[in-house]
Amino acid sequence: MPASHEASNYDEVSMQQSMLFSDGLQDLKNLRAQLYSAAEYFELSYTTDDKKQIVVETLKDYAVKALVNTVDHLGSVTYKVNDFIDEKVDEVSETELRVSCIEQRLRMCQEYMDHEGRSQQSLVIDTPKFHKRYILPAGEIMTATNLEKLKYFGSSLEDADDWNQFRNAVRATIRETPPPPVRKSTSQSSSPRQPPQRSATFSFTSTIPKKEQDKRSVSPHRFPLLRSGSVATRKSASISRPTTPSKSRSITPIRYPSEPRRSASVRVAFEKDNQKETEQQQPSKSKRLLKALLSRRKTKKDDTLYTFLDEY
Amino acid sequence: MAKAGGITNAVNVGIAVQADWENREFISHISLNVRRLFEFLVQFESTTKSKLASLNEKLDLLERRLEMLEVQVSTATANPSLFAT
Repeated sequence: MPASHEASNYDEVSMQQSMLFSDGLQDLKNLRAQLYSAAEYFELSYTTDDKKQIVVETLKDYAVKALVNTVDHLGSVTYKVNDFIDEKVDEVSETELRVSCIEQRLRMCQEYMDHEGRSQQSLVIDTPKFHKRYILPAGEIMTATNLEKLKYFGSSLEDADDWNQFRNAVRATIRETPPPPVRKSTSQSSSPRQPPQRSATFSFTSTIPKKEQDKRSVSPHRFPLLRSGSVATRKSASISRPTTPSKSRSITPIRYPSEPRRSASVRVAFEKDNQKETEQQQPSKSKRLLKALLSRRKTKKDDTLYTFLDEY
Repeated sequence: MAKAGGITNAVNVGIAVQADWENREFISHISLNVRRLFEFLVQFESTTKSKLASLNEKLDLLERRLEMLEVQVSTATANPSLFAT
């Protein structure tokens, strides 16, 4: 009720003001006609009447009063017009603020919708995470087109059964492969760009030029198998490293310096499991072998290794 | 007698001239005030016109923004799938 009462009061006040304004405008209109009629009357009376002095004095008084009255009316009307325009300008400014607020809210809603859409779309495409380097079977050359193809087939081997079957098949292939012939000449091994011909199971490096090896910084998820161990696991896993040549093991190919070295940051859980299994399956090596391998890695020379292999 | 009549005429002429000057002064005052009133009206007209022009511009801009908001809101309400979570 008080709100309606205030509203009614406001309406009444505004009505009164508008009435006064209209009255002032009407008085101004009538004042023009009155001034014209008064001028005609005084002109006529000045020419006809004998008491010209009285007519002149009356005309003076009337002119002063008419001027003051006109100024009053004009002041009132102009004040009201100014007040009205300022009020409307304030209302427009307030409306602009409201519209700006609504636009800001709408923009925030659009940004939120865009963000949500982007997040949903980004969740739809599950980008596979590849490890840095893997050993592919012989003949598998990883090109850019293969990478693109294999990129979205990474989930095909994600099932544990498929993965185990594939791993067992690869292991069986490794065990059936005859040991690589021991190299006698060290002159060939000194050239890292010409690796010897080895068994076709793991030695894709022998068939791939060095450019492609350099390009192979990411491995596809499609063949995530038989990583021969990372550099970070030298001490613990170098004994069971499948690339180390051994008389007891006839499967593992010889690791040559031309093969790409793995970065130390690549570690995954199944790699550890693989290493544990290989540790259990394969006998431990001698210290000489370990030292030779470590010295080979440090000096990056093959002479020591092949000398050792010759002696071995 | 003639001399007295001449003095009287001179006095009358002087009074008439003074009255004439007073009337002229009054008329100049009135005309000056009317001119001031006219200048005030001209100034008021210019200021009011500029205020009304700025108000009109603001109203046009506001009208366009409101139309754009209306279109955006109508588009959003016409596609309720946009709000589906």
